[in-house]
Amino acid sequence: MAQKASSKYDPTFAKEVFEKVDSGEEIKKCMQCGVCAASCPLADKMEFSPRKIFTMIRAGERQKVLASKDIMLCTSCYTCIVRCPRKVPVMEVMHGLAHHALRSGFVPRKESSKFGKAFWDCIYKTGRVDEGVAARNYYLADGLVAGAKRGLEMKDIALNMLKHKRMNIMSAIPGIQGKKIKNIATLQKMLDKAEAMGKGGSK
Amino acid sequence: MDKKLGVYVCKGCGIGDAINVEALSEAIEGLDVTPHLFKDVPVLCSKEGVDTIKADIEGEGINAVVVAACSPRVLYDVFDFPGCLLERVNLREGVTWCQPPGEEDTQMMANDYLRLGITKISKSELPEPFKPEEEISKRIMVVGGGMAGLTAALEGAKAGYEVVLVEKEAELGGWKAKFYKEFSAPYNDIHDLSVTSLIQQVQGHDKIKVYTASEIDKTAGGPGLYSVDIKSNGGSAQEKIGAIVMATGWKPYDPSNLEHLGYGKFKNVVTNIQMEEMAKAGKIVRPSDGGPVKKVGFIQCAGSRDPERLPYCSAVCCLATMKQATYLKQMDADSQAYVVYKDIRTPMQTEDLYRKVQRDGAVFIRGEVESVSEQGGSLVIEAMDVLLNDKVRLEELDLVVLATGMVPTSMPAEIPKKEMPAEGGGTELREVAPDSGFFSTPALRLQYRQGPEIPTLKYGFPDSHFVCFPYETRRTGIYAAGVAHRPMDSTQAKSDAAGAMLKAIQVVEATAVGAAVHPRSGDMTYPDFFMQRCTQCKRCTEECPFGAINEDEKGNPLPNPTRCRRCGVCMGACPERIISFKNYSVGMIGSMIKSIHIPEEDEEKPRAVVLVCENDAYPALDMAGLQKLRYSPFVRVIPMRCLGGLNLVWIADALSRGVDGILLLGCRHGDDYQCHFIKGSELATTRLSKVAETLNRLALESERVKVEEVSIADAHRIPEILNEFMETLEGIGPNPYKGW
Ligand code: SF4
Ligand code: SF4
Ligand code: SF4
Ligand code: SF4
Repeated sequence: MAQKASSKYDPTFAKEVFEKVDSGEEIKKCMQCGVCAASCPLADKMEFSPRKIFTMIRAGERQKVLASKDIMLCTSCYTCIVRCPRKVPVMEVMHGLAHHALRSGFVPRKESSKFGKAFWDCIYKTGRVDEGVAARNYYLADGLVAGAKRGLEMKDIALNMLKHKRMNIMSAIPGIQGKKIKNIATLQKMLDKAEAMGKGGSK
Repeated sequence: MDKKLGVYVCKGCGIGDAINVEALSEAIEGLDVTPHLFKDVPVLCSKEGVDTIKADIEGEGINAVVVAACSPRVLYDVFDFPGCLLERVNLREGVTWCQPPGEEDTQMMANDYLRLGITKISKSELPEPFKPEEEISKRIMVVGGGMAGLTAALEGAKAGYEVVLVEKEAELGGWKAKFYKEFSAPYNDIHDLSVTSLIQQVQGHDKIKVYTASEIDKTAGGPGLYSVDIKSNGGSAQEKIGAIVMATGWKPYDPSNLEHLGYGKFKNVVTNIQMEEMAKAGKIVRPSDGGPVKKVGFIQCAGSRDPERLPYCSAVCCLATMKQATYLKQMDADSQAYVVYKDIRTPMQTEDLYRKVQRDGAVFIRGEVESVSEQGGSLVIEAMDVLLNDKVRLEELDLVVLATGMVPTSMPAEIPKKEMPAEGGGTELREVAPDSGFFSTPALRLQYRQGPEIPTLKYGFPDSHFVCFPYETRRTGIYAAGVAHRPMDSTQAKSDAAGAMLKAIQVVEATAVGAAVHPRSGDMTYPDFFMQRCTQCKRCTEECPFGAINEDEKGNPLPNPTRCRRCGVCMGACPERIISFKNYSVGMIGSMIKSIHIPEEDEEKPRAVVLVCENDAYPALDMAGLQKLRYSPFVRVIPMRCLGGLNLVWIADALSRGVDGILLLGCRHGDDYQCHFIKGSELATTRLSKVAETLNRLALESERVKVEEVSIADAHRIPEILNEFMETLEGIGPNPYKGW
């Protein structure tokens, strides 16, 4: 069977990454040595590995890259950054790509992105992470019934946390927010600015 | 010379505890020479020790000194008595440090070594340096006026030597001068050509005489005594020369072999050389229609690293592509380069240039090109991308640049043929081997019996002992530099040229005082021929690895002592045994072997003569001693300049006297030879293969004679090699000729 020539090294996507992804341009330095892939503790969970993601960008594989769960799997362990002989900030590029994928309407890994959003909202609104609120909003993202079901699955842990005063019972109630820090408006201003500074611009 | 012999035994470094010095003096009774003095000294290398010897030389007229102490490889500056014969007997590394102290066998070993040393000195004469009638020239000729040749010339002139530079083209500068830009340090960018200023400096130097549009018609003589005929358009000239730096450079790999990459089929497929020429002319355009060039595909290793084409990596074409991609971008910011590669090879700091090209946005695709084709007037490269594990198709390319490699100019376009003896008698026309002097493209036109050019390796690069003597060729006094030597970039070529020039300076200086160059640097002896008995068999001329022996009109061997490296291969080759040195000869080693005491059969003390190459195996033995490794006390080591000096008569002599076996330790031979005289250990092995005959005649087992390859790093293997050989001999049983 004649294999279809699938990659044409169309530079459009690479340009998009260079321009719109945080640290995107850094991948130009990559020499495909594979040290990052060999160092990454998540590599065996990934389909491609960071190295291949970078070459796919240059090959123009927009769909495959942005839909890949690999870019969401990075746990920020920093091993790749420490080891990359070309000083590519691999981890930052992975996060930049994940962010760019979400903004561009790709949901490469539903759970991670939903959790990220719940976590972010919590910080943005109150200035701190309230385990109860963050977990509740994360569970409810799929609707009330599904959320209640997942909440019940976790009830042992929740009870333990309550017992040790690690969680407030009130936060399980939808709509309730955790306690805000003082001057939350100042923090929000800072966060807005940080987002605007990123290549993706403000949401 | 009338010898007055003084023997000095050192008791330091444990020697005095391990052996009985009185017994030593008894052991040497009955030898051809009787020492005038025999002294033992607590520490011979101390000031008192050396002064004792000096006082005896002064007061007693001692003119032959035997120092029985440490290895001759150490303290040679301490035991240095000008005008005296000197023999070092290695009692420390060779006996005390590798044998148990106080044992009878240890004592017998020391006794024998002292007997060997005294026998040797009794057969030696003081060398007289070779002084030709003609005056030695210290001028150095550089052949080739490219980057390497120009640098060599300038370095030589700066060091105060007169240089004659011969370039075949009308202009100096070689390939470099034809280029647009160069890559050189600092590698974060490309640069204007540095060769331009080099040319000016060479042309302006009053110690450098430049011949352009000139060729060498004839190179006669040898180091210090070359007479070179130079043919320039119309005229001719003759120059007296001392040494030669061969910087004949390279040519691009022939692209007509690259049809599979579209060369010759599509006008817009060019080589990196053509790309350079276009850039130099000012504009990069599509050769097909003169249209603009926006998308360029570079194909790396075009023909290189391909067993069918140019099997090696030239180590520069990757950088040439980096350079070209850089100026492509500089000339047109909208252009896009694609580089299809196997590996990018940008060693050391040159990686900076690779980084720059990546930053500039070139796309690198690792894989194998499958096809280059044309589609709508543009080119298409199809390749297997090994990083994506997928096919890629690069379309709408305006230009494809083939990164071709380097071939030395010495590599002939077609392998020359020569009349050679045929198997069934008569002669036939056969291709000559690269390591014959008849392979290379004519450049030096040497008047050597062994062929007009430098023997090379199979790819046309001059043969050398790469590890130890990187500039060496197989012709003493001629040193290769730059790409004539191996593929390299111009920065490397410059340091290579300086190195080769330094070697050329060494050879003229050594020749002027009659001394050898490395590996026997400083040796003043050279082969003497007792011509009356020569049968004109020509073996010496054939086997000398350095082409030192020509032939006179009458067919007699005609030695050229300044070409000689004093290896003694000729001595081993001569069936008439008429070639000898003042302190090294067939007869001398024969007598040494005879001076070994052979115990009676019932004493059960076998004896093996171990002939050891001085360059690698002997140091390994010393090292084994230094590490206090124990080995059989029944071996008797005799150092040789090179195993190539092996004469079969020694084997016959030794065996017929009752020696149980002979072991030869020499360097590796074959394609990756380590022999310091290139062919020596190989020749010894060949000669030994004929020894079975001798053994049969004596009704002896062929296992009694063996060759082993030993490198300088093999100290740990020494006990195993020696002990195993002794076990073999014990297995066979004693030599039946004992006691005859
Ligand atoms: S370690 Fe760095 S250079 Fe190597 S593949 Fe990963 S990103 Fe590229
Ligand atoms: S230098 Fe590069 S292009 Fe040239 S042969 Fe070596 S790897 Fe191939
Ligand atoms: S074989 Fe060795 S010693 Fe003999 S002439 Fe040649 S270089 Fe000199
Ligand atoms: S090898 Fe000996 S006999 Fe033969 S040509 Fe040379 S010198 Fe003469």
